[in-house]
Amino acid sequence: MFDLLRLMFAFIIMPGFLFTAVVGLLATWVDRKVTARVQYRQGPPWFQPFADLAKLLGKETIVPEGAAKAVFLGAPLIGLAGATLVSTIIWMVNFSHGVTFIGDLIVVLYLLTLPSLAIIFGGSASRNPLSAIGASREMKLILAYELPFILAVFTVVLRTGSIMFGNILGYQLANGMMIQSCSGLIAFLVALIVVQAKLGVVPFDIPEAEQEIAAGALLEYSGPALAVYKLSRAMMYFILPVLLITLFMGGIDLSFWGGIAWFIIKYVIILTLIILIKNTNPRLRTDQAVRFFWGPVTALAAIGFILAMVGW
Amino acid sequence: MNDLTIAVFAPLIMALLCFVFKRAAKWLALLVSLGIFTLAIKIFLAGQLVSQFLSLRAYPFSAGIFLAAAFFTLLITLYSFKYMEGKERLGEYYAYILITLGSAAGALFAADFLNLLFFWGMMGIPLYMLIGIGSSAGAGAAKKTLILVGGADAMMIMGIGIVWVMTRSLQIGPSPLPLNNVYSIVAFLALAAGAFAKAGVMPFHSWIPDSAEFAPASVMALLPASLDKLLGIYLFSRICFDVFQIVPNSPVSLFLLACGSITIIAAVMGALVQHDLKKLLSFHAVSQVGYMVLGIGTGTPLGVAGGIFHMFNHAIYKSCLFLCGGAVEQKAGTTDLEKLGGLAKFMPITFTAFLIAALSISGVPPFNGFISKWMIYQAIVQLGKISPYWIIWLVAAMFGSAFTLASFVKLTHAVFLGQWSETTGKTREVSWMMWLPLAVLAALCVVFGLLAAQIPLKYLVFPNIQFYRFTGVWEPGMATLLLLSGLLLGLLIYALGRVKKVTVKPAFTGGELLKEEEIKVTGNEFYDSIKSWGPLNLIYKTAEKKYFDVYELGRQAAFAVAGWLSWLHNGLLQTYLVWLLMGLVVLLLFLAR
Repeated sequence: MFDLLRLMFAFIIMPGFLFTAVVGLLATWVDRKVTARVQYRQGPPWFQPFADLAKLLGKETIVPEGAAKAVFLGAPLIGLAGATLVSTIIWMVNFSHGVTFIGDLIVVLYLLTLPSLAIIFGGSASRNPLSAIGASREMKLILAYELPFILAVFTVVLRTGSIMFGNILGYQLANGMMIQSCSGLIAFLVALIVVQAKLGVVPFDIPEAEQEIAAGALLEYSGPALAVYKLSRAMMYFILPVLLITLFMGGIDLSFWGGIAWFIIKYVIILTLIILIKNTNPRLRTDQAVRFFWGPVTALAAIGFILAMVGW
Repeated sequence: MNDLTIAVFAPLIMALLCFVFKRAAKWLALLVSLGIFTLAIKIFLAGQLVSQFLSLRAYPFSAGIFLAAAFFTLLITLYSFKYMEGKERLGEYYAYILITLGSAAGALFAADFLNLLFFWGMMGIPLYMLIGIGSSAGAGAAKKTLILVGGADAMMIMGIGIVWVMTRSLQIGPSPLPLNNVYSIVAFLALAAGAFAKAGVMPFHSWIPDSAEFAPASVMALLPASLDKLLGIYLFSRICFDVFQIVPNSPVSLFLLACGSITIIAAVMGALVQHDLKKLLSFHAVSQVGYMVLGIGTGTPLGVAGGIFHMFNHAIYKSCLFLCGGAVEQKAGTTDLEKLGGLAKFMPITFTAFLIAALSISGVPPFNGFISKWMIYQAIVQLGKISPYWIIWLVAAMFGSAFTLASFVKLTHAVFLGQWSETTGKTREVSWMMWLPLAVLAALCVVFGLLAAQIPLKYLVFPNIQFYRFTGVWEPGMATLLLLSGLLLGLLIYALGRVKKVTVKPAFTGGELLKEEEIKVTGNEFYDSIKSWGPLNLIYKTAEKKYFDVYELGRQAAFAVAGWLSWLHNGLLQTYLVWLLMGLVVLLLFLAR
């Protein structure tokens, strides 16, 4: 019973839902603020993402005529549940390296598709042609980045010899961070580009492409359902960088102040890189993105993997 | 009479009655399959059984597969009541189902190669007849099936012959031969060809997509999706570990891994571009075998366990998907993706079952397909310690899984979600006799996913593998608990907001008043921008010319040889005289040597 309570606490409050949501929303604020400053605008105050969310909760819910209502309203929830579960797993393995909690690296890779699936099925269920196009673009984007992502992630597995997070972290504790090696650095760069696509930010905001398909899969959403989507998107802003830190930057140690500062530095570096890429690139077309990921990015990932085989 | 002999002969004898009493055939088939299912439970619980008559032998592995086979036959017979209602040749239809069940029992319980070969070959006959039973147009596909499957059986005879020469025994097992010389490798490949043709591994796969166009969905669910898969992989694992011995990282193991990887990727690529519900599913019936071959081909206990578990899982979700396809076909009158759409609202049970099965086959946790794939991935990663090629198999398997997801996203959109079409406006849910089998299979997907270690792995897989240990960790029960609490959290957010007050408005199409038919996104064009990518485009073009189809290649070769022969026999006396003279000269030269 006590274990169950602790599990629920971990899932709902810390480090699961509430913690990830708050930090994620703050991260989206940083993103918006920096983007605004780059464009010589003032930018929103820090509480703006929270205010947006509260506003959406007060709006009415509109369901398109003849849409599959259960899927339409259920899809955002699945995305939220998936994001929260991934966040909990990654944090729990970082808190104590020896612990095995729910899943390994392969499980996390597969759970990470749940938020994307939520967008796809939500868009598909909304009976809107533009949403359907958005859903298909999201799926194509998954196909595009999956290939280099597998190679990058399994470069880590090749070096550490295990798919367990505990062993991956233990290896880095003993032998230094993954990015300190040549192959690890290459894999990190590849994974960073993939994270950009997983977050769906420029240059990979193809599934939403406001100017082309009017937010695509999210077009028909409003009110609380849209709020849940925005929330899980914000959580991914936190979860994916933390996954990168776990795999490539030696993980997180929150047991002393220096560790916390060190983690914040790592997180800020990754967030800065993401925002930098976002603000210096135009959106790609779908076929360009597919060619980009299956061409140069996969080649880079393959080079990284081969270097890891040689032992660099 | 022994239980095993009853399991083999009761369905065969009852099938004869079905031919005679056409009206009662369906009830007879249901009763017999129910009886055989209870018998299968009894055999499974007994574990080991031997019958002197015909030398039949049951042990946990074959008994487990027979249990599954009888279970699928029972469900599909029930489904056929309504699905096949009003069709012609119903007596024959049920008779062939029973013959399939009986000969499957014979092949599974055969203790020596002769019995195996007899029943194995016998299974081809109902397959041939059932594919052609739907329409006269199916005759071509049925012929192709017969030639491919029969041809592979002929290769099996050769393999058995070589094994007999080497061991002077026709017993399957018990002392496995090492794969270290040319004879045993040839014998292995010949036997594997028989198993591969039944299961649909490339290059013997092309009968499955072809027959999917014409055969009834229930036949597809019974044979290529479940029974043929179960038997093919059963035989394959028997020859890999009882007749011969696969060593990890040996040339044969690498060959099998390559076969599995190519099957996964090539078939899933084929599935991605299909425009027909049943045909798309049939390509996945090919693609998924790749995972089983990949798992068993690793030769490690974990990989074999994963491969065998995947076989059971695949049979469950793939027959569920075919049965859903049949339900859609019956209600909408078509399986053309262009003409379907928006059925989720009208057929909620079918849709839910389809969605669960689709997520299972795509390997989305926490459903059953994920666990077996996860085991196979681990086995491949383990292989990395002794072989540098593991990443190729791993990328093929994981990337293939993404493509599987993509084609099921397309299918779900085109059939159940998306916009309506003219056919879907007036549909209703199918009768309980049809949705009950779907619901049972979908529920099994969930149960096998959540309680994998407690039920299927413990009773169906573990007794046959010496010892295996996971290298990763996956706790489906806890994960599902947390996912459900995540859903509750989301519902709480909905409750905080004003989700109760739902307004229904027409979809927004840029403020234009457009007719729905004009702006329908069917899903067929979902992946066109991927298809047009240079290398893929080339592969698709080559595939369209049927360069990857063994049957087509064989046909062309046969016609080329026959054409040459008929060119020789042109009926002119002079030509024949020239040939005679030339022959005489050759003979003289030979004699005067």
